[in-house]
Amino acid sequence: MNQEQIKKMVFDHFDGKATLIQRNFLETWLTDHTHQELYYRYLDEWESERPQLALDTDDAFGRLQHRVQVAPALPVVGEKTKRIPVQPWLIRYGWAAAATLLLVTGLGGYLLRDQVRYQTYQTAYGETGSYQLPDGTRVTLNANSTLRVPRFGFGDETREVFLKGEGEFTVTHLPTHQRFVVRTADDFQVEVLGTEFVLYARERGKRVYLRHGKVKLGLPQGRQLTMKPGNVVTVSNSGQYRLQQAAPAQPYVAWKDHWFYFDDTSLLEITAQIRERFGVKVVVADTALAHRRIAGNFKAENADDLLQTLAGLLNLSIVKGPKHIQLEHPKEVN
Amino acid sequence: MQKVYPSNSDSSADKFPFSVGGPVGEGKLTDDELLLRQHFEKDAAGAFALLFRRYYKNLVNHALRFVYGREVAEDLVADVFTHFWQEELYKTVHTSFRAYLYQTVRYRAYNYIRCELHPANPLEAADDQPTLTYLQPDQIIQYSELQHKIEVVVQQLPPQCQRAFLLSRIEGKKYHEIAQVLHISSSAVEKLLIRALQKLRQELQAGRFLSYLLMFFTSAI
Repeated sequence: MNQEQIKKMVFDHFDGKATLIQRNFLETWLTDHTHQELYYRYLDEWESERPQLALDTDDAFGRLQHRVQVAPALPVVGEKTKRIPVQPWLIRYGWAAAATLLLVTGLGGYLLRDQVRYQTYQTAYGETGSYQLPDGTRVTLNANSTLRVPRFGFGDETREVFLKGEGEFTVTHLPTHQRFVVRTADDFQVEVLGTEFVLYARERGKRVYLRHGKVKLGLPQGRQLTMKPGNVVTVSNSGQYRLQQAAPAQPYVAWKDHWFYFDDTSLLEITAQIRERFGVKVVVADTALAHRRIAGNFKAENADDLLQTLAGLLNLSIVKGPKHIQLEHPKEVN
Repeated sequence: MQKVYPSNSDSSADKFPFSVGGPVGEGKLTDDELLLRQHFEKDAAGAFALLFRRYYKNLVNHALRFVYGREVAEDLVADVFTHFWQEELYKTVHTSFRAYLYQTVRYRAYNYIRCELHPANPLEAADDQPTLTYLQPDQIIQYSELQHKIEVVVQQLPPQCQRAFLLSRIEGKKYHEIAQVLHISSSAVEKLLIRALQKLRQELQAGRFLSYLLMFFTSAI
């Protein structure tokens, strides 16, 4: 049984729809501790999809802080805190120690400033990941993508994150109507209040697909653009943009389930996608072949899956070199 | 075939292609759990705040399914977090934080309803650390079954009784407020609420839900 089927079964069990046979299966399955971890991950996912009440996390955290002192400067809290009598020498050397500590943490802070300032979510080649940000916003990252979220001040006045790669955002609309801004390299930003959109920001350019709600794009040189649901905006590296009115969702979200969606897509474009998602360089030397167009959906969790399918479809042979893979017409056998 | 991939995309990532990460302690997988754990080593207070924000809503949501009371569920989850912080359990817990939090919330929720439905049966000072490690599979399964049973019982309460129960426990309404909504007297409201609890007690006892689970805990502690 594969992981998807097991997840389905665990969800059925949470829903109270599992059969006795499934119950037995799960009981055996749960003897493995890594499976128990998976179980709680599924439970968390299941719960997050089935909210029963509107809850205020900030408010609850405030109340908790009131009860327990959670301050970065005082790692020991509650009844455990003991007052240490201060001796005169401690004051003198104490300051020196504090100054050294300050210097050390200052230096360390400088060296590690990005790691300290940002929580980084990262996916490897061939892997997708789903995350929930502190404000409740959900993000699904496509392979080979990085999202940086400030650890401090996120949600206080602004919500600003940085994306390199591709991700789907389901932004929580806050009662304060606080803006959520996704920045990418090159002066490009997407600004929303609460909505669902897919943002692609890689070397080849930028693309935003809006599913619900309203989005304001900040383009280089201060230009702005407002998008409506169903719109796709593609921005080239030179800053040229193109707006497509009503686009189907499928091509932009297929990656979430490890699908590739091709609609009259050239082999050249496909090799670029393989490189982005799997980090595998595929070369098509024959220009005519590189411009062959393909349509269809393909499920592939690694480059091989997809290459085998393509090779079968176009009757090509796959030649593996040390640095790249080549797709070519089979050598004719005389 | 494997060798065509760059070294950072092979084996370990293939095992959990859909996942947010892998089992705890197994290397570089990008689980938010793993990131939190690393964060705790650097800045415990900051990490604790993130942990709270990450799981609070989902845990309260889960506790609600057992205790069927908003205030109780919120307090219970806050208690679990408080304990986790004060005892510095992030240093000692053997499971993932997520597993610990869910296990402990379930355990406390279970203790709560047992105490509420059997006031005569004094609660042995609930041990706060029943679940630093993994549970037995049947215990895990029984929690879900208990939760379903509670839901069924509440759904089958007579309509008026059910409304009073929800108004009181979920919306936090006082007796006299419920009385106004339902156009009945405050004492009638009290009777409805007592009846709801009685019904829960009967049904859960009939299914031996409360005593059954308890057996495991007393033996596990």
